[in-house]
Amino acid sequence: MSEWMIELKGTTKRYGTLVANDHIDLQIPRGELLTLLGPSGCGKTTAMRCITGHQHPDEGQVLIDGQDVTDLPTHRRDLGMVFQNFALFPHMTVYDNVDFPLMIRTLPHDERRQRVTEALRLVRMDELGDRYPRQLSGGQQQRVGLARALVYRPRVLLLDEPLSNLDAKLREEMRFEIKELVTQLHMTAVYVTHDQGEALALSDRVAVMNVGRIQQIGTPRDIFERPNSLFVADFIGLSDFIEARVDAVEGNSTWVAVKGLRVRVETEERLRIGQEVTLFIRPNRVELLEKGAPAGENVLEARVQKLTYLGDNIDYRVVLPGDWEIRVQTNGQQYLPAGSSIKVRLPPKHCHVIAEQK
Amino acid sequence: MILTYTLLVCLSIFIFSPFVLIMIKSIGKDWFGKLWLPPTLTLDWYKWAINVARLPEVMKNTIIVTELAVAMSTIVGIFSGWAFGRRHLPGKELLMSMILLPRMIPPITYALGIARIFYGLNLVNTHFGIALAHVTLCAPYAILVMSATFEGLDERMLEAASVCGANPLRTFFHVTLPQIMPGILSSMIFTFTTSYNEFTLTLMTYGADTLTLPIRTYLAVGEGYWEVTSAMSVIMVLPSLLILFLIQRQVKPEQLVGGFKGL
Repeated sequence: MSEWMIELKGTTKRYGTLVANDHIDLQIPRGELLTLLGPSGCGKTTAMRCITGHQHPDEGQVLIDGQDVTDLPTHRRDLGMVFQNFALFPHMTVYDNVDFPLMIRTLPHDERRQRVTEALRLVRMDELGDRYPRQLSGGQQQRVGLARALVYRPRVLLLDEPLSNLDAKLREEMRFEIKELVTQLHMTAVYVTHDQGEALALSDRVAVMNVGRIQQIGTPRDIFERPNSLFVADFIGLSDFIEARVDAVEGNSTWVAVKGLRVRVETEERLRIGQEVTLFIRPNRVELLEKGAPAGENVLEARVQKLTYLGDNIDYRVVLPGDWEIRVQTNGQQYLPAGSSIKVRLPPKHCHVIAEQK
Repeated sequence: MILTYTLLVCLSIFIFSPFVLIMIKSIGKDWFGKLWLPPTLTLDWYKWAINVARLPEVMKNTIIVTELAVAMSTIVGIFSGWAFGRRHLPGKELLMSMILLPRMIPPITYALGIARIFYGLNLVNTHFGIALAHVTLCAPYAILVMSATFEGLDERMLEAASVCGANPLRTFFHVTLPQIMPGILSSMIFTFTTSYNEFTLTLMTYGADTLTLPIRTYLAVGEGYWEVTSAMSVIMVLPSLLILFLIQRQVKPEQLVGGFKGL
């Protein structure tokens, strides 16, 4: 038993001049649900296909449970997979679809029946065993897909955008269903998606990918709170980006100059004075204050440019002195009309500095 | 409403009247002049067709030729269809037009060429030779249908099978084959009818031992026995009707044709 259930060692895949995967190193411990997250064309699907064996990496190795499977064909890798378009066999009933992997493995008849029934019950499809896939809704089809991938208890479960073809409400429900199932069965799982909400809700760890590389890997909280690059900050959640220059550094505190204003930032990153950086803050972490609020650290004069009422919250565009605009989201109770003069506070612990500029 | 029905009735009369005429002719005796229906009915002409025109032997030839042609075109169709539907082929469009060419130009224009080549290869007056000539007309159908079928095959499904542990052979038999079966069936039906009805190419390649039904019927016309010819025509139509009936019952023809591309 290896420490890592899945390990990619410098896997590289090129399509002509395009590098889809550029020396990817990735270790996934046993029982972890890891998400590969990124925009389309970032190489997440290629990485998954290297794990399944549908793609052979040009360089590097793929290890499953310590065994080098780089040259092993897919059908001998003992994986389970759920597909975006469900990929059920249309000429087989639900029962036969789930039975298929067991039939291939020539298990005894009684055991097959028992396992299929069990798997169908697990995904709450035990009543619909004799239906054909075309008679099922998208959500039901994906449940069958899940049952088919789990029924033979593979070492690893791979999920390739399994919820993208479902409607929004169902997608949200099934997120938790999948999460629960994977946790309950102690599966190691790799989940591919471009939906950040899904990634944050489901994963033990998220690997954010961009142009064939893993840009950042960490817990959903890490990724959201401490993005290591403009790309990650921009891709996940809403962000205000402000060009700034490092003014002074003292311990964990850094002062940056933004259009003639000084803002204190708490950061662990080592920065030089005078360095061009980007100040970054989540719109819902900015505090809006009344016009008469006392002056203080990181409190700036501002004016409401426009606002959009979103129900749960209000989306403000706020202009600061020096004519720069930021986006602020507050809960729906704090209503400040457009044109009013206010103050904003940028809490130092929510201000981040990224050592790159656009 | 009335107009529609009138039109429909006219259309069916237009389509069926020659055939009805043949049917009556084949069972009538002494049917001359201004008589509406033959005065006596008889099955003699069928006996003639079977005994004198040696129809059982002709039928056997036809079936052998047709089966060979269907088998060859289906095999060609499956392999070429796979290549067309699943792989990147340079000049795919041009290649497809070339394959469809024999169907687009009149067979009589190249029938003589085929005959010349077949004389050289001693393929004239052989079942295999006639079937091979038929393949020039049948294979385009088969290739067209099979490439559309393979194109419609979902790659992900095959990947799903492999992840489930099925090796390529088992994937083919358990997943691919059942899904391309309608295509194979429809290709077989169309190649069957093409080969069964084929006249021009057969005319140039048949011989005394390899008379087929259309040729025999045509010769009977020349011999002047109209009643026997009619009986033969009726016998010849039966398998086609049977197939049509089977298609209607088992598979919906419009569904099969729906799989076609560019037809």
